[in-house]
Amino acid sequence: MLKEKLQKFFKIDRRWIFLLLAVVLFAPIIKPIGLPNKTISRDVQHAFDYIDKLPAGSFVLFSLDYDPATRPELHPQAVAMVRHAFKKNLRVGVVTYIAGSTGLIGQIFATVPAEYKKVNGSDYVIFPYMANAVAVMTQMASDFYGIYDKDQDGRDARTLPVMQGIKNYKNIAMIVSITGTSMLDYWVAYVGDKFSVPVVGGVTAISQPGYGPYLQTGQLKGLIGGMKGAAEYESLIKEPGKGTSGIDSLNLAHLLVLALILTSNIILLIIKYL
Amino acid sequence: MKLIKKQIPLAIVFFFGVLTLASYYVPHKVSVDFMEMMNKWENIVSAFAFFLGLISLFYSHYHKISRKADGWGYSLFVYIGFFAMVVPAILCHGKLMGAAGQTALGWSFSFMYNPLSATMFAVLAFYIVSTAYRSFRIKSLQAFVLFMAAFLLILGKVPLGQIIWDSVLGWTGAGVDQVIEWIMGVPAVAGKRGIMIGIAIGAIVTSFKIIFGIERQYMGKD
Repeated sequence: MLKEKLQKFFKIDRRWIFLLLAVVLFAPIIKPIGLPNKTISRDVQHAFDYIDKLPAGSFVLFSLDYDPATRPELHPQAVAMVRHAFKKNLRVGVVTYIAGSTGLIGQIFATVPAEYKKVNGSDYVIFPYMANAVAVMTQMASDFYGIYDKDQDGRDARTLPVMQGIKNYKNIAMIVSITGTSMLDYWVAYVGDKFSVPVVGGVTAISQPGYGPYLQTGQLKGLIGGMKGAAEYESLIKEPGKGTSGIDSLNLAHLLVLALILTSNIILLIIKYL
Repeated sequence: MKLIKKQIPLAIVFFFGVLTLASYYVPHKVSVDFMEMMNKWENIVSAFAFFLGLISLFYSHYHKISRKADGWGYSLFVYIGFFAMVVPAILCHGKLMGAAGQTALGWSFSFMYNPLSATMFAVLAFYIVSTAYRSFRIKSLQAFVLFMAAFLLILGKVPLGQIIWDSVLGWTGAGVDQVIEWIMGVPAVAGKRGIMIGIAIGAIVTSFKIIFGIERQYMGKD
């Protein structure tokens, strides 16, 4: 009798589970719980330290390659790292190899530079979308302007104050690749290793474990993983943003997954040995 | 015919394959210039590949609609989606629209592509949670090990999980972040490194097979 009742749990309409998840996700967004982010992971700390130690005026190339699908995890990372770069008075260049990123990059640079009184062309520059990332990366090694002769607004890149003294990777202090694709692997393999340019990454939580080998060998100087990584970086630069505010929902959703797996397996055990 | 369809393409692949490979290891101006030229060619060919892909996409969906195949209605949205993005982009000439302060393409991106793309991905979360409940069965030792690793990673990835760990297992002196760092730094890296080495060797072997004309599937059936 009990066995049959328990078996009914496995036949539960999945829409109830969908509803439960929706409540768990929305409730903290409407009324934040404010759970503290207790630890800063080693790789996020390394990423922060690396940027923090760069001298003012250094040129950092941001490769922002994510589209709206991975926006909740990666956009807060990009915003936090751009903020950090501006705070440290670094020069910022932005490239992308994902067409869907262009609008998201526009959203970042429509608001963030103004907070730090940074000017397009003098303090930062956005380059247009390019297809075929590997060919572009290889080309930039010899002559940056062989590929990017104009910025997104059609201005001659060579004459922009922000690009003064930049000819190829030798003049670039660091590359930051924030991506939901395999673009970070390309930056490590085709640029970081070959031309000795330090590379820092930002990836989705699901792909984070795959970059362990690069971190151990020092091919990656630091790595931000998922929304938690973004929240950690925001706490390091003392600028709470979307990463910090999304942590409550992330907390409860993760624990819901664990609770569901445990519940189903406990029921299974009871059915088996009853 | 065999010369044009087979031998000349194979010779081109061999010639440029060997030269490009050699250029990687030769830091001389000639090889750098050669790589620069090849990169520009690659970009031009990629642009044409985009165009070819678009034609192919339209052609296959046109056939689906004309034959009224299953789900042909969805094919209509391929055209609607494409023109909804492209037509405003061409018509607006980069000019900002009145109160919105955006170009027409920017508006389409922010209010059409952005929410649609995000929704598609977000829906996955609901299916993952449902599957976690209905399908994750610990029926063997391997499944148990997998579950324990996943359990610890999920627990350690969120602050609430860290609080739970500290209150239940805090007496052990080991933090959940240390346990995660070990899982990520030792067994996960070992597995990933093996996969990466395997993929790299496979890619090298396949490249050599293409350069030396052993692998010819890219040339088609004729």
